[in-house]
Amino acid sequence: MKRYDLVIVGAGPSGLSAAIEAAGYGMKTVVYDENSRPGGQLFKQIHKFFGSKEHHAKIRGFRIGEELLQEASAAGVEVQLESTVTGIYEDKEVTVQRKGHIEHVKGDTIIVATGASENMVPFGGWDLPGVIGAGAAQTMMNLHGVKPGEKVLMLGSGNVGLVVSFQLMQAGCEVVALVDAAPAIGGYGVHAAKLARCGVPFYMSHTITKAEGTDHVTGVVISQVNEKFQKIPGTEKHFDADTICVAVGLSPMSQLLKMSGCTMSDDPKRGGQVPETDEYGETSVSGVYAAGDVSGIEEASSAMIEGRISGTRAAYEMGFVSEEDEIKELTKLKNDLLSLRRGMFAPGNKGKKIEKTEEGINVSQNLLTKGYLSEAEIFRYPGICRKKGLHPVIECSQNIPCNPCQDACKFSCINVGKDITSLPVVNPLAKCSGCGMCVASCSGQAIFLVDEDYDETGASVTLPYEFFPLPRVGDQGYARNRAGEIVCKAEVISVKSSPAYDRTNLLTIRVPKDMAMKARFYADRAETKAETAGGAV
Amino acid sequence: MNEVNDRSRDIGPFIPGPDDDMIICRCEEITRGEIRRAVHDGMFTITEIRRYLRCGMGLCQGQTCAKLVKSIVAGESGAAPGTLEPATSRAPMRPVEMQILADEM
Repeated sequence: MKRYDLVIVGAGPSGLSAAIEAAGYGMKTVVYDENSRPGGQLFKQIHKFFGSKEHHAKIRGFRIGEELLQEASAAGVEVQLESTVTGIYEDKEVTVQRKGHIEHVKGDTIIVATGASENMVPFGGWDLPGVIGAGAAQTMMNLHGVKPGEKVLMLGSGNVGLVVSFQLMQAGCEVVALVDAAPAIGGYGVHAAKLARCGVPFYMSHTITKAEGTDHVTGVVISQVNEKFQKIPGTEKHFDADTICVAVGLSPMSQLLKMSGCTMSDDPKRGGQVPETDEYGETSVSGVYAAGDVSGIEEASSAMIEGRISGTRAAYEMGFVSEEDEIKELTKLKNDLLSLRRGMFAPGNKGKKIEKTEEGINVSQNLLTKGYLSEAEIFRYPGICRKKGLHPVIECSQNIPCNPCQDACKFSCINVGKDITSLPVVNPLAKCSGCGMCVASCSGQAIFLVDEDYDETGASVTLPYEFFPLPRVGDQGYARNRAGEIVCKAEVISVKSSPAYDRTNLLTIRVPKDMAMKARFYADRAETKAETAGGAV
Repeated sequence: MNEVNDRSRDIGPFIPGPDDDMIICRCEEITRGEIRRAVHDGMFTITEIRRYLRCGMGLCQGQTCAKLVKSIVAGESGAAPGTLEPATSRAPMRPVEMQILADEM
C-alpha cells in the first residue's frame, strides 16, 4: 500500500492551496480529483474576483487556477486526475478508483476538500431537458464552448445566478428574466447592476410555477409569492425560453467525512451537512481536516485560505514545521480570512436584513429589488461626485471586501482606506488622467469615467465593456440607463483595449449633456428586452 | 425515543396533492406522491424511505434529491427537517463498475 504524509481529496481552490502549503513544508502530498482537469470550479470562473491584492483581486478565476497549478507543481505536489476517492476507512486508509481498479492508499493526515454540489428545486416540468444547474451552464459555456440555449430564464439571485446570467449573455444567450422567491437580491448589487443595465428584468418574490414543453423546455410560467413563499393565484407570467438555469444554492459534498466518522451537524447557514471542525478545519477525527465549501459554502477566495490554514496545521501536527513558524503563518492566514469574512455579505450576516452601510448610508432598496441604483439614490454614495472635466463615478454602494480601485489610481483620486469593506471615496480635488485603470480594475464593473464638458452639447461616458463584437469608433447607437431602458442616441467615440485592462474593454460614448449621469450602457439597436418579456398567461 | 422515531404520533390521513406525480428522485423515478404515501405507510426516517422506495440510491446517490426528499418527509411527518438524519454514507461514494470494484490493488 502506498503511503503519503498527506492525502488531499479534491483539486479545487482549497485542496490545491492546502497541498501547496503542506508540500512546501516537505510533506509528501498527493491530491486526488475525479475530474479530468484540476482546478475545481476555478477554470469556469471567467470573471474578475473581488478582494484585495493579497486575495487575487481583479484577477480572473481561471488565471488563479493556472497560478495555483504552477505553484503546486513547483512545490512537488502529485496531482492524480480521473481518480475518485470512493471511501475513507479506519486508520486513514483511502480507496481510490483509478485506471480501472481500486487502489488502497494510506495518509498520515487527510484533507477533504470535495466542494459542493448544486441544489435543485422541483416545479412542474423540472425534469425536462433544458432545466439545468447554473454551474452546469457555466461548465458547458466556459469549459466546453457550448452555448446552453438561446433564451434563458435564471432562477436564483445569489452571486452564482447573477454571475452566470452575465456570462450567458457574454456567450450570446438572451436572459429573459432573473427570478427569485426572496424579496431581495441575494448577491452583490454590482453584479445585479451589470445585468439590469443590459435590460434583464428582475422578478423578486417570484418563483417558477412550471416549465412548458413536452420533450424539452419551450417556455416558463412564473408566479408571485407572498411572505410565506406561497404562490399568489392570478399573478402568472409567461416567458418564451428554451433553458431554465437553477441557481438556488449549494450543498457541501461531505459524505466522505461522514463515512470517516467525523461528527456532523445540519447547518442551513453553511449549506447543509457539515463536519464540526476547529479553527484549523480539523474534524472530530484527529488528522482528518475539511477545507473549502465542504465545511460550509463560501467564496473561492475564502476556500483558498482555508486550504492554506489546514495544510499548514497538518504540517505542524506531523512535525514538518516549528511551532513558531506555524503560529506566524496561521496568524497571518487567519487575519486574511477574517478580512474576507467582513462586510454586508459576511457569513455571519446571512439572512439578515441590512438597512445601512458601515458609513451609515441607507442601502438602496431599488438595488435590492430591481437590480439597479435609482437616480434619486445615486448621489448618497461617496464614489459619486459631479465636477468639471473628466472624473470617475464609482457606483459602489455595498460594503464588500474589495479594494483594487484604490491601487488602480496613481493620482490618489480613489480612497477605500484601511478598512477593506469601506465604500470607495472619490476625491474631487484630485486630477483624473483618464487612464481608465480604475474602470478596468473594478470586478463589479461599477466604475465609469464621466466628462460632462466633453463638447458644447455633449458629455462623454466611459464604461467597461466585455461583449463581442466590440463596437467601433464612429458607430451610432443608443445609450441604456441603469434600468436598461434606451434613453438617448449615443456615438462611440473611443474603444480601448489593453493588456493592462485584462480583457475588459473601455468603451467611450458621447451622449447629450443631461444624460451624463444616466447613460450607463451602450446598445447598437433600440429594442428593449423588458418590453417584449413577461406576457400574461 | 426521539421525535422522529415516535410512530404512535398521529400524522393525519394521506391527502392527495396536485403535484403528486412530480418526479423527485430522477435516477430512480420516484414521485412526490410516492414519498408522501410512504410516510403514511410508516416510513419516518430517511433510511427507511430509501430502503422502501430506493430514492437516492441511483446513479447520483441522492446528490440532487436528498434535500428535496428530506423536506417532503419533514413536511408530511411534521418533524423539523434538522432532526431528520441523512442517509448513511457508505463506500463507494460514486458508482463503480463491479469489475473495477473487484480489482483491488
